[in-house]
Amino acid sequence: MSWLLILLPLLGSMVIIVSPGRLAKQLALVTSLVVLGVSVAAAVVFDGWGRGTWELTSSVEWVKEWGLVLQVGADSVSLILVLLTTFLMPLAILGSFNAIQSRTKEYYGWLLGLQAAMTGVFLAQDLVLFYVCFEFTLVPMFFIIAIWGSKNRAHASVKFLIYTFTGSLITLAGFLTLAWSYAQANGGVWSFEIAALTNHAASALSLHEQAWLLLALLIGFGVKVPLFPVHTWLPLAHTEAPTAGSVLLAGILLKLGTYGLYRFVLPMCPEAVVEWAPIVAILSIIGILYAALVCWVQTDVKKLVAYSSVSHLGFCVLGLFALNPMGVEGSILYMINHGLSTGALFFLIGMMYERYHTRDMGELGGLARTMPIWATFMVFFVLSSIGLPGLNGFVSEFLCLIAAFTAGGSGAYPGVLGPWYAAIAALGMVLAAMYLLIMVGKVVFGPTKATLRHDEQSGLPVDLTVREITVLVPLAVGCIVLGIQPDLVIDNTATAVADTLAVYQGIFEESMPGAAAFVETALPGGAR
Amino acid sequence: MIDVTLQLARIIQAMPPVPASEVVTDTGQWWIGFILWCPLISLVLCGLCAACRVKSKLPAWITVFSLAISFVLTLLLASMDSPPERVELFKWINVHWDGGSFVANFAFYIDSLTILWMSFVTGLGALIALYASEYMEPDVGRGYSRFFAGISVFLFAMICLVMGDNLLMLYLGWEGVGFASYWLIGYYYQKPQAVAAAKKAFIVNRIGDLGLALAIYLIWSTFGTIQYNELISVLDAGTYSPVYENWSVQAIPYLLMLAAFGKSAQLPLYVWLPDAMEGPTPVSALIHAATMVTAGVYLVARMYPFFLLAPESLHVVAWVGGLTALLAATIGMAQYDIKRIFAYSTISQLGYMFLGLGVLTTYGAAYHVFTHAFFKAVLFLTCGAIMHGFAGQLDLRKISGLRRMKGWRIVSWTMFIGCLCLAGFPLTSGYFSKDAILAEAFVSHGPGFEVLGWIAIFTAFLTAYYTFRVWCRVCAGEVRYEPGDEHHGDDHDAETHGREFHPHAPRFAINIVLLLIAAGALLAAVPYFMGNEVEHATGGWVADMVNDSTAATGVPGHPEHPGTAAHGAEAHHGSILGMDPHVAMYSISACVGGLGLLLAFWLHLWRRQDADRLRSWLLSRFWTRWLPVAMENKWYVDEIYHAFIRAPLWLFGHIFYAIDRYIIDGLLVDGTARLPRLLARCFQPLQNGMLQSYAVTMAGGAVLIALLMLLMLQFFTGGSVS
Amino acid sequence: MTFQLASEFTQVSLAHFIIFSALLFVVGLAGFLTRRNLIVMFLCTELMFQAALVAFVAFGRYWFNYSGQVFVIFILTVAAAEAALALALVVLLHRRRGSLNADDWKELRER
Repeated sequence: MSWLLILLPLLGSMVIIVSPGRLAKQLALVTSLVVLGVSVAAAVVFDGWGRGTWELTSSVEWVKEWGLVLQVGADSVSLILVLLTTFLMPLAILGSFNAIQSRTKEYYGWLLGLQAAMTGVFLAQDLVLFYVCFEFTLVPMFFIIAIWGSKNRAHASVKFLIYTFTGSLITLAGFLTLAWSYAQANGGVWSFEIAALTNHAASALSLHEQAWLLLALLIGFGVKVPLFPVHTWLPLAHTEAPTAGSVLLAGILLKLGTYGLYRFVLPMCPEAVVEWAPIVAILSIIGILYAALVCWVQTDVKKLVAYSSVSHLGFCVLGLFALNPMGVEGSILYMINHGLSTGALFFLIGMMYERYHTRDMGELGGLARTMPIWATFMVFFVLSSIGLPGLNGFVSEFLCLIAAFTAGGSGAYPGVLGPWYAAIAALGMVLAAMYLLIMVGKVVFGPTKATLRHDEQSGLPVDLTVREITVLVPLAVGCIVLGIQPDLVIDNTATAVADTLAVYQGIFEESMPGAAAFVETALPGGAR
Repeated sequence: MIDVTLQLARIIQAMPPVPASEVVTDTGQWWIGFILWCPLISLVLCGLCAACRVKSKLPAWITVFSLAISFVLTLLLASMDSPPERVELFKWINVHWDGGSFVANFAFYIDSLTILWMSFVTGLGALIALYASEYMEPDVGRGYSRFFAGISVFLFAMICLVMGDNLLMLYLGWEGVGFASYWLIGYYYQKPQAVAAAKKAFIVNRIGDLGLALAIYLIWSTFGTIQYNELISVLDAGTYSPVYENWSVQAIPYLLMLAAFGKSAQLPLYVWLPDAMEGPTPVSALIHAATMVTAGVYLVARMYPFFLLAPESLHVVAWVGGLTALLAATIGMAQYDIKRIFAYSTISQLGYMFLGLGVLTTYGAAYHVFTHAFFKAVLFLTCGAIMHGFAGQLDLRKISGLRRMKGWRIVSWTMFIGCLCLAGFPLTSGYFSKDAILAEAFVSHGPGFEVLGWIAIFTAFLTAYYTFRVWCRVCAGEVRYEPGDEHHGDDHDAETHGREFHPHAPRFAINIVLLLIAAGALLAAVPYFMGNEVEHATGGWVADMVNDSTAATGVPGHPEHPGTAAHGAEAHHGSILGMDPHVAMYSISACVGGLGLLLAFWLHLWRRQDADRLRSWLLSRFWTRWLPVAMENKWYVDEIYHAFIRAPLWLFGHIFYAIDRYIIDGLLVDGTARLPRLLARCFQPLQNGMLQSYAVTMAGGAVLIALLMLLMLQFFTGGSVS
Repeated sequence: MTFQLASEFTQVSLAHFIIFSALLFVVGLAGFLTRRNLIVMFLCTELMFQAALVAFVAFGRYWFNYSGQVFVIFILTVAAAEAALALALVVLLHRRRGSLNADDWKELRER
């Protein structure tokens, strides 16, 4: 079934390329819906909910002597991210129906190819498949930006490709070194199986070696996330990409980075992580505040949302490196929530752009009067993005911050961060409200600008069409459901997360004896 | 003067413990959930009305009806008189792991404090929604559904805030009411000022929310739970152990304070409230006067045990409250916009409430919240009626003699009642609640509390003055009016243009609501005279309610009771001018209030020209000119914030963006990308297109290589080339 | 002395061939560097080729290894084909510009 999830979109993309162009979008939609159906079926038969086991596994031998065995499978965390992918894809396709008028066949072909690669990343159980898929995501996205992007698309696409590619090459070097070290330790038998390599890395590598591995992985995944100093490809790529491209970039591609951090960095180099987590956390906090302030002075709405991704993903990384269950759960939730709300914001901006052909806040204004439905959705998703309790963004943000806060290094809640990390990062909450509400105030509210003309040629009515509402409603429902029932994710991934973090418990207990014992005796929270 | 910490230590010991075992988790009373679900259902229905473009008053009736149900259910709950109980609705955020868990569910924690707050939240909510059904009439079919959806959201959030059984649910309500306020202040979204005010309210509140969030983190990491009943039992047992040494327990009250000051518009975060008057007036009455802004008081009252753990924090609360009361009153004195005057008065009265909390009379604070909710709602609603009738006119210089106009009698006399209560006229509700606070400022001991007490008394004088300044200007005097330039809707334009302006007097719904709430404002004095359950205690029903809850200061009933922990022995009881404050304050505050009232009547009714003369006299003197100017310009607080907070941040934004584009992206990223190209530039001249030069290069290269080989040969063979 | 000189001259050694080959190469190189006519330049490259071939033959004879001769045959064949191609190109270039000056063709330079 895992293979089906990867191969079906590929098959669909091939069918689209050979079929007549006018059927392209329908075919793409049908394919993505079928894939969604398959993924839901997979989720239903999946046994690993709340158990942390790998299910739906299957492997294909390629060159066995070299350890090249392609393996797929899913644990609860991967499957949730796969579900996010398959959920966003039909919406992305549906959302492009009007925007993409030229070379439709190629466009939908690339979109489905992208989906195959993204699903592959989440389902891969060996490094070769993982890395191939991880890199292959660049190719469709490169063409999507380069062909269907806006003005500065050539520069954006090349920068996106080269930047992320360079980063992941360093990750590849790290992976290969790890695999080599494994082969050395196992009498020359190579393997690229993630589980085996993780065990090897966590147990056999010295602190020094782990630190190097951490650095190599961090560069590749950090660019993808993006972490603070290596984020500059993102605003450009997001701004120039077509709507669906931005949605998938924000919704899924960034999550490849955080998923990589969760799947590889945390379990593979625990001791180095404990050593270096404060630095990563500081970088993410700088990212949160810095990007938030940059957001404030943007005039391009889309660029603002793009920078807000940098800010938001900072919380996500902060949660991961708090190294306790709340933080990691919060981070996983954040991956999903950010995909929903920021994805929706990009959709909304795209819908507006199709009508007015401008994204400049100086030219927009008072759209609540002309487009009430659009405005309602806009305000809704902005609220979700700034973390209004009751909607999804809040839960994840809260968990990430409280996790960082309590990871204080002494007493009941071991960790290497502390209250100051959370306190400073939490300023990002205030800033997020500031820049997003200023944007809403300028674009949605205020007097309607007389110069703003709805483009009659676009073939779209003044307010949203049924198709567009169909795109937004599932996202809105997702936001509400995850806002009041985050347990859907938390309960189901708890064991997987606990397994990932088990290694840290040992490390912390070693360095702070008595930590765990305290929890059980003194705290009512612990006693239950 | 006795050592304060010692005194507080006694209080903590005397605090009536609410053992966890006494708190029953009850799911049997299914209907309790409907207190919360009713506004939610109303929200959904109003949303549907908006989607279906309903062109009738249906949304208003839905809202009024569902809020009324909530109110009735609340009364039912109050009548049961049960011990504190938990009612679990559903699970929300639960993270469990080996040796720990974080639990925050949708559940109610119902004790007497909850019921006290709920009674006026839902009651006033329903009444004001009824009022709004007429007030918002011009918007029927346009923003009508949106408005009532906003009211429903507000009530939903407020109920979460008050009834939630854990801090996270309180946080949900806390941000929820902030959002509802954003929604409703920005109701007239085409008006730039309204949008700016809404934004400001949300952002300033977010700063407070930050404090609340951090407080929650700290409480959880110190006590391991955020549920009230568990917190109480942990506090009682004293089994907590601060993770971050001692400062965590000390810091909790200050963070909570930040939150409370943000929501309740205290220094330094009060600036959003006056601007919030851009919203429709029912909203100002409900949210920005009666209910939402008291959430800060509720928070402090609910978390009072934490404040008692760090007693110095209460001194800060008292001083901030007292100073805010004074500052807001001075600003309010000099404003001309009626609604703004009442907005500043709200800030000032909230200051009193915090003063009360700070000087250990949670009862006084809660009672003042209770009475204030009624009389301030009346005042705002009369403002709204005037605004509605005079096309948005709110300048008190442009309307006069309302009580002599036809159809305006109810408005002017209910306003009079509201003013009396606000001014603390003897035997009105405001008189009793304010006195409790004023007296306690002299009774309790703390740094400079006596000064604070005198500040509060002076503020009471100012309050009486500015309150009756409004009434004398607007309702009394000769009949004279100018219409405003704002219209609720387009149909008004047709009505007012071309013809002479006729104010239209309020009709049934507005009048009945005004009468009901004014009656409520008067009757709010009754609980004071109700007998206490505990012997020797005074303060009536409200005192009982407060003392049965977490807000108790450890004193049953009124702290006059000798030998109770709050004041220690009688010898340590503070005094005012050598008298017992509790007794003396009745007459002192009556005198002060009366003086203010007389001053207002003199300057604004009997000899109105004297007021102008006073102003011009102040303005003409160099040494006094700053006073009226600064007061009219609200002490320039907004400007100071703009210059010292907003502008630097904005500048940082620009600097960071420049850094992002030119240094990080330009220099580092693109610079690295340019490096290979730069290297290529060095060898570029070789590629000049001339065949001969290529040949020379090639030949030269070949010779070079040959020479090199020779040299190497020589080197390796020791120089013997044969 | 004279005999010895004569004998040294008559006994043609490997060095003579190599020197001859080098001289031939230098002539070709000098011609290539100094002339601008494409045909002449082409002929000069041929001259350098031949110099290399002479060296091949000489070394082949010296080591009694006939691979040198074989290579020469190969290279001559290739050179013939190459000459045909080159002349054809030259003709095309002449048609395009009406000149055989090598300096006229600088499109491939940087800047």
